[in-house]
Amino acid sequence: MRAFLLESLEQLRDHLAAQRPLFTPQFAADSSEPSWLPLSHNTPSVAIEQPLLPAYPAKQFFFPEREILFRFDGTDFKETLPKPAPQILFGVRSCDLCAIAYQDQFFQQDPYYQARRKATLLVGIDCQLPCEGGFCPTVDAGPFVRDGMADLVCHQQGDHWLLITQTSEGEALLEGLDLKAAAEEGITQRRSQEPQVAAQFPSATHIERGIQRINQSQVPAELWQTMGLQCLSCSGCTSLCPTCSCFTSYDRPVDDGFERERCWDSCLYDAFQREASGHNPSAAAGQRVERFWFHKFSDEYIKTFGRYGCTGCGRCEKTCPGVIGVHSVMKRISATP
Amino acid sequence: MDADRDNISRIIHTICPFCGVGCGIGLRVEQEKITGVEPLTSHPVSQGKLCAKGWSTAYAVDPIDRITTPLIKENGSFRPASWDEAYQLITEAFSTAITEQGADAVGVIACARATNEDCYAAQKFARAALGTNNIDHCARICHSPSVAGLRQTLGSGAMTNSIDDIEKADLIVIFGCDPTENHSVLGGRIIRAKMAGARLLVVDPRLTRLARMADLHLQLQLGTNIALINGLLQIIFANGWEAAEFLNERCENEAALRAKVAGYPPKRVTAITGVPEEKLIAAARMYAKADRALLTYGMGITQYTTGTNNVISISNLALVAGQIGREGTGINPLRGQNNVQGACDMGALPNVFPGYQEVAQQTSRDKFADHWQKKLPENKGLTSLGMTKGALSGEVRCMLIMGEDPVVTDPDQHHVQRALEALDLLVVIELVMTETAAMADLILPAAAFSEKAGTFTNCERRVQLIQPAIAAPGEAKPDWQILGELASRLGYHGMDWPNAEAIFNEITALSPLYQGMSYLKLAENYGLQWPCNEQAPNGTPLLHRQQFSRGKGRLIPVSHADPAEMPDEAYPLFFTTTRLHYHYGCGSMTRKSPLLERETPSGVLFINPADAQALAIKPQTKVRISSRRGEVETRAVITDEVPPGTVAMPYHFKEAPSNRLTNTAQDPVTKMPELKACAVRVTNLEEASQ
Repeated sequence: MRAFLLESLEQLRDHLAAQRPLFTPQFAADSSEPSWLPLSHNTPSVAIEQPLLPAYPAKQFFFPEREILFRFDGTDFKETLPKPAPQILFGVRSCDLCAIAYQDQFFQQDPYYQARRKATLLVGIDCQLPCEGGFCPTVDAGPFVRDGMADLVCHQQGDHWLLITQTSEGEALLEGLDLKAAAEEGITQRRSQEPQVAAQFPSATHIERGIQRINQSQVPAELWQTMGLQCLSCSGCTSLCPTCSCFTSYDRPVDDGFERERCWDSCLYDAFQREASGHNPSAAAGQRVERFWFHKFSDEYIKTFGRYGCTGCGRCEKTCPGVIGVHSVMKRISATP
Repeated sequence: MDADRDNISRIIHTICPFCGVGCGIGLRVEQEKITGVEPLTSHPVSQGKLCAKGWSTAYAVDPIDRITTPLIKENGSFRPASWDEAYQLITEAFSTAITEQGADAVGVIACARATNEDCYAAQKFARAALGTNNIDHCARICHSPSVAGLRQTLGSGAMTNSIDDIEKADLIVIFGCDPTENHSVLGGRIIRAKMAGARLLVVDPRLTRLARMADLHLQLQLGTNIALINGLLQIIFANGWEAAEFLNERCENEAALRAKVAGYPPKRVTAITGVPEEKLIAAARMYAKADRALLTYGMGITQYTTGTNNVISISNLALVAGQIGREGTGINPLRGQNNVQGACDMGALPNVFPGYQEVAQQTSRDKFADHWQKKLPENKGLTSLGMTKGALSGEVRCMLIMGEDPVVTDPDQHHVQRALEALDLLVVIELVMTETAAMADLILPAAAFSEKAGTFTNCERRVQLIQPAIAAPGEAKPDWQILGELASRLGYHGMDWPNAEAIFNEITALSPLYQGMSYLKLAENYGLQWPCNEQAPNGTPLLHRQQFSRGKGRLIPVSHADPAEMPDEAYPLFFTTTRLHYHYGCGSMTRKSPLLERETPSGVLFINPADAQALAIKPQTKVRISSRRGEVETRAVITDEVPPGTVAMPYHFKEAPSNRLTNTAQDPVTKMPELKACAVRVTNLEEASQ
C-alpha cells in the first residue's frame, strides 16, 4: 500500500479515463438523478467530490440484470461467456464496495461474474458526509473505504486529496502521473478522522436494536404479517440492494433454437419459491419479508461472508412504495415490547 | 476515447408506460438495447418508487416477438409486405366501403396506451380523412361513466384533485378498487398516508389489501353501490351531518336528492348490500365529519349497467358532505392506462372533439372544420361495442384498431371474434402479435413508447413528455406517422406533421385545456396539470376550488338497480373480473417478463374457501367456469379475498379469457358493458374425471 498526494480528483479521473473506459456516477439527462454512466468528452465535467450515491449500486457491472448463459442452435450448445474489455469504476462509495466484496464471494464459482469482475478496477472514495438515509457505520461498511475493497482509494484532506493504492493493478494505472508521495501523517490522520465522520450520522439505535431482535428471534410473527401486507412485491428493494444476488433463468426461443437467459429475481415474489405442484413454502408475504431481512441482518451470514448482508446504503427505504424499507422495518421491530 | 462512447450506455428519463399514475422512469440503454430501468427520486408522482410492472419495462418492449414490417394475411398466414402495398390495400378497402355505404361504414379504435399525439391523429384521421365520428377507445370499458357522470354533476370528468392530496387527507375512501394492486405507486402513497395517521375507509366486495389495513371496511354485495351510497346519504341527512353551507352556496337540486334517499333507511340498505347498519352509520359519520376526506374509485364503480348512475351517486356523496374543492378532498377516479386520460382529452371518443368540445354543437364542428380545412361529419359516431355490433350487422365493413386487444379485453369474446371476422378489412397497428392482431387482414408495425417522442396524461391530469430512448425495430414507426401517411393516400393532407411536437402545438391551439402548454414548459415542470391556460399558466392541481366547471354542483337522485344478470339455479355464483399488480390489460407487454409471467401463469379463478369446500375444490384444482355466453378452464386459488358466493378472475390471460364469460349488457348512457357482474357455474374438473 502506498499513498500519494493528488491535486484534484479530475486529474486522476481523466488520467484513468485516457487508459480504459471509465464509469462514474453522473447526473443523467440534465437532472439531479445520479446514475452510473460512462465518462465522455461530450458531457461537461461534474463535481465528483460531493457524495453522489447513484440510483443503483455497482452490481450490474458484474451481475447484469439480464444475461445470456448459452445458446442452443438445434444441434450444438454455444458458450456465451463474456469477454469484457478492461474498465474502471470511479468514485465507488464504501457501502457499495463492501457489497462488491460480498458478491465476489457469492459468485466465486460463477465464470460470467468473474470475467467481468476481473476486467474491472475499482476506485473508491471516502465519504466525508453522511448521505440521506445512509447508516454504513452501523453495519461496518463505511464511511471510509475498508482495506482491500478497492484498487485505489481517494480521500479528501482540505484542498487536496490523498490517493492510496490498495493493489498493484491499481498502482500500475498511475504510471505517467507525476505524483508526490504523501507523508505518513496523512494516512494516520485519515484513520483518526473516520470516527469523526461516523459521528455525524444520525442515530441508528433502531438498526442496532432491530439486528439484536432479529438474531434473538424476538420479532413477533404478527408484525411480519402486518409488514408483509405492505409488501406489494414490486422487486424494488431487491433490484437496488447492493448485495441481493438472486436470479432465475428461462429459455427464449430464437431462430432455430433457444437461448438461456438469466435475470434478476426477487425473493418477495409469491412465485419465487412456489413449487410445480403449487405448494409454496413461503406462501405468506410476511414470511417472505421476514426472510429478506433475515438475509440482511442475520449473524448466520457472517460465517460465510464475514459481514451482514446490509451495507447501510438506505436505497430500499427510498424505493419501497409500501413503507417497509430498512428504517421503517427496523423502527417497528425495535419498538415492539 | 471516442464520441461513440455516448452510445454505449445512457439513461433516458421518460414516463412509465403502464397505469395512469404516470411514474417517472429512467430507461437504461446499453448498446442500443434497453436493459433496465432506474427509478427517479425527483419525479413528483413516483418519488423514486416503481411497481412490479414498471421495474419490468425492459421486458415489455424487448425486441423479441416485435412486429417489424407490415404483414398481410394470405391463405390464413401472414407474409411481410411493403408499406406501399399495405397502404394501397387499406386505401382500396376503406374507399370502397365508404363509396358503397358511406363514411360510417368504417371505424377507428384509438389506444389508451398510445401518446396524446397518436390519439389526436387517430380522431383527426377518423373525422377529417375518413369522414366519420366512429372513433372510440378502451375508456369505453373503464371510465366512460366517469366522464359522463361527472360532466353532468360537476362539469368535468377527471380526477378533481392531485395525487399529492392523498397525503393531505385525514380520511381516504377507497371505493371499488385496490390501488395497491393496479396503481401500486399511488397505492403506496395511501399506505404512507395511513402510516402517518390518516384513516382508511374501504368499500369493496373483496377483502383487498387496503381493506385489511382499513379502519372500516364495508364489504357490500356485488352491484349494490347506489343503494349503499343512498343509505349513507340518508344517514347523513337524518343526522344533520351534511355540509349545509356548501350545499346552499355551491349545489343545486338538494330537495330532490333528499326525497330520493329518504327511501333508503339503514334497514333496507342492509338488506340490499349486506353491510350491517352500525357500519353504515360509522362510515357516514367518518366521511361527513372528516376535515378532509379524499375519495378515490375504480372499476368497481364504473363497470356496471348502472355505471353512470354509480358515478353520479359518488358525486352526490362528496357534494353533500362538502368533501370537494379543497386540498385533501375530492372525487378521484383512478385511470387504468398510462394515457387513458389523454386519449379522452384528445377526443378519441365518438361524441367529442379534443378538449371535450361537443361534436353535436355546430360551433365546435365549425371550429375544427375551419382549422382542419375539411367538412366534418355530423352523424353520431359509434362506440367500440357499437362498431363490433355494426360489424356483425354489416353496417361497419372496415376497422382500424390501434394497439388495443378487444378480443381479450372486451366483454363476450365470442361476439367480438365473430364481429371482427365479419369485416371486409381489419387493420391492426401493434407491437406484437396479440389475439386481435392475429385476426387482422393486415398488421402495421408500431413504435413502442421507448422509441418515440410525445406526451402522456396521467390520472391527475398531468401532461408529461416521453422521450425516445432507442430507434424503433425494423420498419416500425409512430402511430401518428402511419395515420398521416394513410390520410395522404386517402387524399387528405392535413396530417403531414414533421414531428410529434408539431401535433402537440396543433392540440394546444384547439383544446382550451392544453392551451398554455408547450414541450418546453412540460420539460421544465415535470409536466403540467390541465387546465393550463392564461388564467392558470402553471396548470391546475385542484379543480372546482371556487365554483364547479359547470357552475353549481348538481345533485341527481338515482335509484338502486340489480345487475342485469343475477345468480340463479343454473348459474348460482356471482362472477367479477379483477386486475393483478403484475399485469397490464391484455398482458401483451407484462407477460413478456418471465418473472411476472411466473406469478400467475395462464390465469386463475379466485374462490372463497366456503364455495371451494362445497365443490370439493382444492388449491390448484382444475375448474371450468361457465356462463350463458361461454366457458373457460383454469385453476383455482382459494382465498378469502372474495366473499362467499362470488368468484373472480383477472382478465389479462388469453388462455383463460374471463371475457368469454362476461355480459355485454350495457349502461344506457355510455354503453359501458357490465364487466363487474354476471352469473356463472363452477365445475370441479378433477372430481368429474375421477
